[in-house]
Amino acid sequence: MTDALPSVLFVDDEERVLRSLRMLFRGRCEILATTSGREAIDWVRQRRIHVVVSDQRMPGVTGVEVLRAVAEHSPATMRVLLTGYADMDAVAASVNEGEIYRFVEKPWNGPYLLDVVAQAARVATRDFAAAQARATAAASVEPASVIAARVVVLDDGGAIAALVRELLPAAVHVDHARTLEEALSVLAEHDVATVVAQLSSAHGDVAEALKRLKHLRPATLAIVISPLRDSRLVIGLINEGQIFRFLLQPPVRELLRRGLVAALERHAELRANAGLQHRYGVEAPRGESPGVPGRLLQVWRRIREAAVARIG
Amino acid sequence: MNPALTTRARTPSAAAPADLQPLQQQTAPVDPHTSVLDVARLFLDPRHAGLLSLAVVDAGRPVGSISRYELMRVFLMPYGRELYGRRPITALMNAQPLVLALATPLDQAARAIATHIRSPITDDFVLVDADGCYVGTGLVLDVLRAVEGRLADRGGELERAYARLKSSQLQLVQSEKMASLGQMVAGLVHEINTPLGYVRNNVEMTRGALGDAAQLLAAQQAVIDALTGASEPDADLDVRMAEIEELRPRVDAAAMRDLCDLLDDTLHGVGQIGDLVSNLKDFSRLDQSGLQKADVNKLVDSALKIVQHLLRKREVSVVREAGELPQIECAPAQINQVLLNLLGNAIQAIEHEHGRIVVRTQALDGRVLILVEDNGKGIAAEHLARIFDPFFTTKPVGQGTGMGLAISHQIVEQHGGMIRVASKPGIGTRFLVVLPVEGRGKRP
Repeated sequence: MTDALPSVLFVDDEERVLRSLRMLFRGRCEILATTSGREAIDWVRQRRIHVVVSDQRMPGVTGVEVLRAVAEHSPATMRVLLTGYADMDAVAASVNEGEIYRFVEKPWNGPYLLDVVAQAARVATRDFAAAQARATAAASVEPASVIAARVVVLDDGGAIAALVRELLPAAVHVDHARTLEEALSVLAEHDVATVVAQLSSAHGDVAEALKRLKHLRPATLAIVISPLRDSRLVIGLINEGQIFRFLLQPPVRELLRRGLVAALERHAELRANAGLQHRYGVEAPRGESPGVPGRLLQVWRRIREAAVARIG
Repeated sequence: MNPALTTRARTPSAAAPADLQPLQQQTAPVDPHTSVLDVARLFLDPRHAGLLSLAVVDAGRPVGSISRYELMRVFLMPYGRELYGRRPITALMNAQPLVLALATPLDQAARAIATHIRSPITDDFVLVDADGCYVGTGLVLDVLRAVEGRLADRGGELERAYARLKSSQLQLVQSEKMASLGQMVAGLVHEINTPLGYVRNNVEMTRGALGDAAQLLAAQQAVIDALTGASEPDADLDVRMAEIEELRPRVDAAAMRDLCDLLDDTLHGVGQIGDLVSNLKDFSRLDQSGLQKADVNKLVDSALKIVQHLLRKREVSVVREAGELPQIECAPAQINQVLLNLLGNAIQAIEHEHGRIVVRTQALDGRVLILVEDNGKGIAAEHLARIFDPFFTTKPVGQGTGMGLAISHQIVEQHGGMIRVASKPGIGTRFLVVLPVEGRGKRP
């Protein structure tokens, strides 16, 4: 089979943006473009599309709605939001409902956008190939692997930890860590399915740690709960940390419950199929944080030692 | 310093209660048995020159007052002196004098005097302490002066309060403007970033293409030079030919046409950004004093532009009917603010898919009429009377200041115009703004 160019679908209500993007991506992929979100959803249903890049503010169907439909109908398709304004609700919805890969702001940086789409296309190509192989395998995840999972709640207060315990079945092991150190210890010792982190500061260690978590534990999913209505923070967590869910504090119980269940299921999937983990590839962290790397490095070392000990 | 003196010489401060204490005259009272003649002699005493009357006190309590006027009346009668001279003063005294406690507040004392007073003023009032014992008298004139002093103070206070109110009103108008501008920012940022996105990309693409074209030209030129030159072709020729092969498809006629289209797009985008910036400039100009001649149709179109992202987002169609209008004298930034307020409200009132806003302008009788009508949810009759009230809002807490219409109303009134509303819940709302062509002439 010849290596066909990946297909990329651009959705934006402004024709000129689409013309410009066509020029940028000329020759690199099969380009599809539409100003209608509804049409975009139809196309994704009808044929294989590797990457969808959509604007948010469109009349009719919004970008997040498009991406949510794409996530539902074609989960292997990678999703990117390219938008001129990042309002908090759209950003949160894009990660919670659209489970997007990257959030890119307009005006975009040409080489950066090319890179993001190229990476996404590579991942999608692999996944479409793997999906065919997986089609014969069991569709659902073994309940046992979900129940035996472990969840760490990083919460200096305790209210969120209590809530998480309440929402999960008793068989799920919930660790309550009051400090980042405690949480990292648990992460080093055990295979943690989900980290629920309470984030009170945009610039503290916790935010930095979340961004680097994917490098250490690609199969661990992060649910962030925060009172901060800071879209820049969440965009950073999406692009650099590929967090799984973002909930505003105080969290709506049902949303948190659904998020936890989804995270546990996803973790089980990732453990069963290590190849899927590359879907959560993250960008190199931007900016320096002197405090954290040292700690994470220690954790990383311990994990490595443990792994080496098991092998050797 | 004698401590007794310092404690007594305490001037009433502004914070001290304004009562009758400072007005007290420690006049010696008159015994009830004193004869009329003796009382007359007391009045002749230079120390009592300023007094209108003397108090008659029995066992420390005031029982009456005798006025100079009464004595004069009696002595002017034929044989008056002889008839009344030896009688006790109780025969002539006013047995119901005006008695006030020292601690009576100034306002209350003034009122009591006003109700008691007869013309001509013949009596001073008597002062007693908390137990009702005589302590002295007080001059009515002094009360008048004290009250006048108080009024002057209050006048100053009122002026200061008015000045503060005026400045906080200006702040409110400004913050309402900022609040409504803030609401627009979200959409405006998007409106600006979108053309900015493709403008930047197109320029980058063009630069890249120009670079390729330059390279292609150089390679082609080199080949031509080699062909027309005297010397043998060198190894470079191969490289040049390969370059040409590679670059030709990238820099072909189709690519050039596409790039031209992209540059047209770029110019359009830059124009859009320019428009938005100029609209913003119009809106933000503080323009407190400047009355200018402005075209209302242009102001309406400018306001529609600023809200166009909201219109698109909610799929609201706009019916625009622009009549021929004379220029009007106004503060354009303020009229802009009113228009934005009305349009914003109209859009927010629409909660269904078939939103429609009609904006009509018309000239009539030296005035300009602006109509903004929506087919939104309308305003209930009981709210209609209050919608121009400051802080009145039907929106949930946190949304809107409730000042928009109040300020719009004020702006229109200051321009010498008027603003009216009609509404039917479930059908829609209509606002009519009437502005005079001739300006009001004074500072808005």
